Amino acid sequence: MGTFRTSDRLAAEELFHACYPRLAGWVRRLVDDDDTAHEIASEAFTRLLARWSSLDNPQSYLYMIATNLIRDHWRKVGRERRALRAVSAIPAENVYHPDQDVDVRALIQGLPDRLRQPFLLHYYGGFPIRDVAQMLGRPEGTVKADLHHARARLRAVLGEAHG
Amino acid sequence: MDEPRDDIDTWLQERVTPLLPHPGTFEQIRKRARRRKAARAALTAAGAVVVLAGAITVPRLILSGNFGATPTAVSSSSVPVQQRFSPSPAVSAQTRTSRPDAASSTPTPPGLPPVPPNFAASSVTFVSTTTGWVIGQAGTPGHCGPPKADDCTSVAITDDGGSTWHGSHAPVTGAPNGGTGVSQARSLDGVSGWAFGPQLYATHDGGQTWAQIPTHGMRVTDLETVNGIAFAVWAQCAGTGADFAAGCTSFSLYSSPAGQNDWSPVPGLTGLQASGGAPASAQLVLTGTSGYLMTPGGQLFSGPVTRPARWRTVAAPAGSPVALPCAPGAAETGGHPLQAMLASTGPGLALLCADQASGNRQAKTLYYSADGGRSWSPAGSAPARGVAMSLSGTPGGPVLVATSSGIDFSTNAPGASGALTWRTARGATAAGGYSYVGMTTSGQGVAVPANVNLDAVWFTYDGGARWVASPVH
Repeated sequence: MGTFRTSDRLAAEELFHACYPRLAGWVRRLVDDDDTAHEIASEAFTRLLARWSSLDNPQSYLYMIATNLIRDHWRKVGRERRALRAVSAIPAENVYHPDQDVDVRALIQGLPDRLRQPFLLHYYGGFPIRDVAQMLGRPEGTVKADLHHARARLRAVLGEAHG
Repeated sequence: MDEPRDDIDTWLQERVTPLLPHPGTFEQIRKRARRRKAARAALTAAGAVVVLAGAITVPRLILSGNFGATPTAVSSSSVPVQQRFSPSPAVSAQTRTSRPDAASSTPTPPGLPPVPPNFAASSVTFVSTTTGWVIGQAGTPGHCGPPKADDCTSVAITDDGGSTWHGSHAPVTGAPNGGTGVSQARSLDGVSGWAFGPQLYATHDGGQTWAQIPTHGMRVTDLETVNGIAFAVWAQCAGTGADFAAGCTSFSLYSSPAGQNDWSPVPGLTGLQASGGAPASAQLVLTGTSGYLMTPGGQLFSGPVTRPARWRTVAAPAGSPVALPCAPGAAETGGHPLQAMLASTGPGLALLCADQASGNRQAKTLYYSADGGRSWSPAGSAPARGVAMSLSGTPGGPVLVATSSGIDFSTNAPGASGALTWRTARGATAAGGYSYVGMTTSGQGVAVPANVNLDAVWFTYDGGARWVASPVH
């Protein structure tokens, strides 16, 4: 229990070398911090390897884990910001100026989970819609609609910000 | 004005710059993974011990629910919160904050609260192939509360497709008893979710806090969610005890944004009744774009599920309201119809019409619609063995029927060329059969046994041909 067969280890190592740099780079785009990106990518690989033998599509699983960890990170950062605001009594409206700095990453953070997951997996993970549908357990048509709605929301917010 | 499209497209088209790992990263990861595997195995083996140990590690929990003006069951009282989670007080603030998000597709790490003992699952909902919630009753009735000794409703969560389960907070109520209690659960995304049947509770923080939604004396008999909206059937019912959905005479469809507790009637769908006012049921089915409500009178209403809008009667090609081949009839204990069962398949809609049962046999005719319910064609008969309890479609088209004898599945899709071929699933051997079957993807699905005391749900990973039990403990 808890040990890899040699063939498993070689396969895992091969996957690591093939996928880690792109995964970590992908995460960095979304968290904008090298250390956090390494932390998330490493944790995603750890969880992958912890259930290695039961996975059909390790790469999909890897990106699903990373997507969820990124979301957790965003939430944690959001909580910390809110707590900081509460402690320092800074009005919220003084913290964020969308009209001064339109940050697409921040807008994606604001998407509902249902839209954000397929958005990240398709546009950033590079997975085809069929794979995203399989990963999320949704029909392809639903994923397409979710992507459409996500982009529409982003455009609407950006439109307001630019307005 | 700038063109918004440019910002998004520019950002999307940026190339990912690889970030190389530090030396030794793979070895560190491999060791951590090995430790977690070993810890998980140890946790499974020592489950009973963990239950006892976990029950005494309960700091007072500070809630931070986001329920707006709606009173919450857990925050509107000065009763210490630790006593308000039933039946096991083992869910602590520390353990909750240390667990990954409810939607994370991860193995359950050590340190999470255990599933309370004697978990009797009555409903399951999966938001992905890995993350699912099960609701049911656990503990020892009469020894669960406070506030009431029979408040034994419990929730268990899996983040790894049913390999492991852990306990979570639950609505503070009991099993269905006339107009009170809950028995069913649905979640949109692992964050927003609902417990219902007959009362209605909502969570918007992954199950950490639950708020009771006032339903003004009506009972919630069905609920589905998609695209950020939840829809629910609210009914006037007279059933007593566990038969909360019996004696229902008037049905209305309500909806709410998934992230809020803002329920309002869907225009065009209030006060629906069976002919002659006879007790009946209704069923709700959602696809990614449309919703369908099978009314007590055997009519079909449809509307968009992407925005609030009036739902309208589905019209037959001739223009008159479509009359389904069968009406839903009375509801089973969980609130679902027994005589007509509607399901969405990837390409269309399937309707199972179940005749009066004779012993453990029942004639079951499947109908199929490829045009959104406007026209229906017979698609053959499902196996007669067993009394039908639940129908599920798959994204690829085949359908499954849960019965009192097991689970039957079609190997091809209704509506496709050729006769529908049925097989009996292997491994679906729960005594008493299954009250629910649902497919998360074309390959993966879950079934709830009719006998809730089996303390397990069943999974398939091959489209329904083979099922394995996943003990919820």
